[in-house]
Amino acid sequence: MNQATKDLRADALVASYERAGYAPAAPAILQPAEPFLDLSGEDIRRRMYLVNDPAGGELCLRPDLTIPAARDYLASPQAGRPASFCYLGPVFRQREDGPAEFLQAGIESFGRADTAAADAETLALALEATALYGLARPDIRMGDVALFSGFIGALDLAPAWKRRLAKDFNHKSHLAHDLDRLVLDKQNGKPEYQGVLAALANSDPKAAHALVTDLLSIAGITAVGGRSVGEIADRFLEQAELGAGSTLPRATRVLIERFLAIAGDPDEAAAELRALAADANLALGPALDLFESRTGFLAARDVDPRAIRFSTAFGRGLDYYTGMVFELHDPSGAVKGELVAGGRYDGLFARLGAAQLVPAVGFAVWIDGLIALGGSAAPGGAT
Amino acid sequence: MSAPLVIAVPAKGRLQEKAHEFFARAGLALVKPRGARDYRGAISGLDDVEVAYLSASEITGQLAQGAVHLGITGEDLVREMIPQADRKVVLLDGLGFGFANVVVAVPQAWIDVRNMADLDDVATAFRLKHDRRMRVATKYINLTRGFFADQGVIDYRIVESAGATEGAPAAGTAELIVDITTTGATLAANGLKVIDDGTILRSQANLVAARTADWHDGARETARLMLDRIVAHSRARAFREVRTRHKGLDEALLATAKERFGVMAPYGGPTSSGMMTLHCPPDTVHGLANFLRQHGAETVVVAELDYVFARDNPLYEKLAAGL
Repeated sequence: MNQATKDLRADALVASYERAGYAPAAPAILQPAEPFLDLSGEDIRRRMYLVNDPAGGELCLRPDLTIPAARDYLASPQAGRPASFCYLGPVFRQREDGPAEFLQAGIESFGRADTAAADAETLALALEATALYGLARPDIRMGDVALFSGFIGALDLAPAWKRRLAKDFNHKSHLAHDLDRLVLDKQNGKPEYQGVLAALANSDPKAAHALVTDLLSIAGITAVGGRSVGEIADRFLEQAELGAGSTLPRATRVLIERFLAIAGDPDEAAAELRALAADANLALGPALDLFESRTGFLAARDVDPRAIRFSTAFGRGLDYYTGMVFELHDPSGAVKGELVAGGRYDGLFARLGAAQLVPAVGFAVWIDGLIALGGSAAPGGAT
Repeated sequence: MSAPLVIAVPAKGRLQEKAHEFFARAGLALVKPRGARDYRGAISGLDDVEVAYLSASEITGQLAQGAVHLGITGEDLVREMIPQADRKVVLLDGLGFGFANVVVAVPQAWIDVRNMADLDDVATAFRLKHDRRMRVATKYINLTRGFFADQGVIDYRIVESAGATEGAPAAGTAELIVDITTTGATLAANGLKVIDDGTILRSQANLVAARTADWHDGARETARLMLDRIVAHSRARAFREVRTRHKGLDEALLATAKERFGVMAPYGGPTSSGMMTLHCPPDTVHGLANFLRQHGAETVVVAELDYVFARDNPLYEKLAAGL
């Protein structure tokens, strides 16, 4: 038993989540590796403990508890109906600092339709974790992925660029690079099939699609490598539409940069976003309404909006987040990295194979980080 | 007696042949005193050397662990198999054989994909449409991950492939591949094309030193002697020896020859009788011979060289700097 497993405050924390209506979940430690690699990307592979099973599949020691809890829920009769879980247990990651086995606690709320209220409840419960370890006023960093995707969606841009910018949002160095490229360069020089593309550019889309499909079929190509002929033809024509000379208008870039510079407490940010939407005549409506409604629910749960550092550019680097994202940090900076981190990931269940949309929001608590704070338990907490 | 210097050499196939030729040219004859099927050998005339015959991937692993001192293996394997390779090994020299590129290849039918930026876009579109990531079949997991990260491509999954990787897209087990190719013919035969800026690594067989091996004084000295011969031979191959006798050959003419033909004068200017020895790159030898005769030389003799031993030993210096 290491020190972390004997930490009584962690047990008290999970007990309080149970009292708040979150059922204890205990997923298996040995998990199929596929969902983690698929959801978190190949980069997580070098941090995972992987083993081969005799049937030829890859198994891993769970690197987090969100995906295991989600898989168990999806396989249960409750799947699709509202259900809330909490957990405390070891997770396994190859780390340069700290042991590879460490404790994680957390909650997951699946299937709730009242998005803003569920978001606010999640952040309020996250704050209980730091409070229990003596940190009543952590540094609260917040972002909202839905605001960025709503903003990009409202811009007058080709679908290829919207797709690309939305992807780059989680990888900020690439976003800056792409903005430079889109403004300055002609896109990737002239396409190989310049003449064909030019000829197709102004033709009837249906006829053009049929022509490209026919050409590929004549070449004896059906569906090579998982992309259908139709998909290839679609993107080929999309490139034709973009044309060789088109670049991102400078005004659009300025707008994107203005959007990404918005930061402050949620009320200030909302005001700035309304102003930007009005100036640029953009419809940010639903995402912004949800954002403001969430701030209201947070205030109702005694979370002071002025204590939150919101930034439109803040993301958690994972593409399955779809809405609010947040991290709680040690304001003194003595303990590095996030103490609690989470957000909304409505896209998670589709990626796990669910047929219907299942909203999901939750967070993970890094118990070893909280212990490292060295604080005494808050009054009323277990000691 | 101290432990011998261990050199790992490919155990079979063309790589073994080429490695033998490489050492033989440097006057280092690899012998198997206990017969051709033995996996331990020696170098005739060098007592303190043991030759270990291993597969290329075993050689790479042994170099990473410091279990052998030197080895011949492909740079592709070094970069793939050894995390932070430059901390563990020193790539002393490319050997001029075993050339192959590690490349990203997609189905030829993907007429909309020409470069990595296209692939990035297609990968993201694919995930949004199919709710899963595009699969890349490869045995080069680390090279692929590093390269795709550099290029900003994130929407992909690696499917480990032990062999016949180029067949994966047609078999439906992957959308694209990362594989090693020499001419690209196998890729083309499987309906694949290499992406324009999708060359991850241009690899060739390398002489590699293990930084963590037991480099005691004896091993260092043996390595120095071996590398001296290898350097002497590669210098010799880079030049032809050109000799002539000509009274009118002065410093000015020599300077012109150096500039126009890349010649070196290893023994300085002409002797009092006008004898001159020059070292000239093979492809400018004829031009130099014409030049010398135009300026009065009667006869110009050109010969191949076996060895050029110089005071410095750049390979050993590279090794010593890395230990």
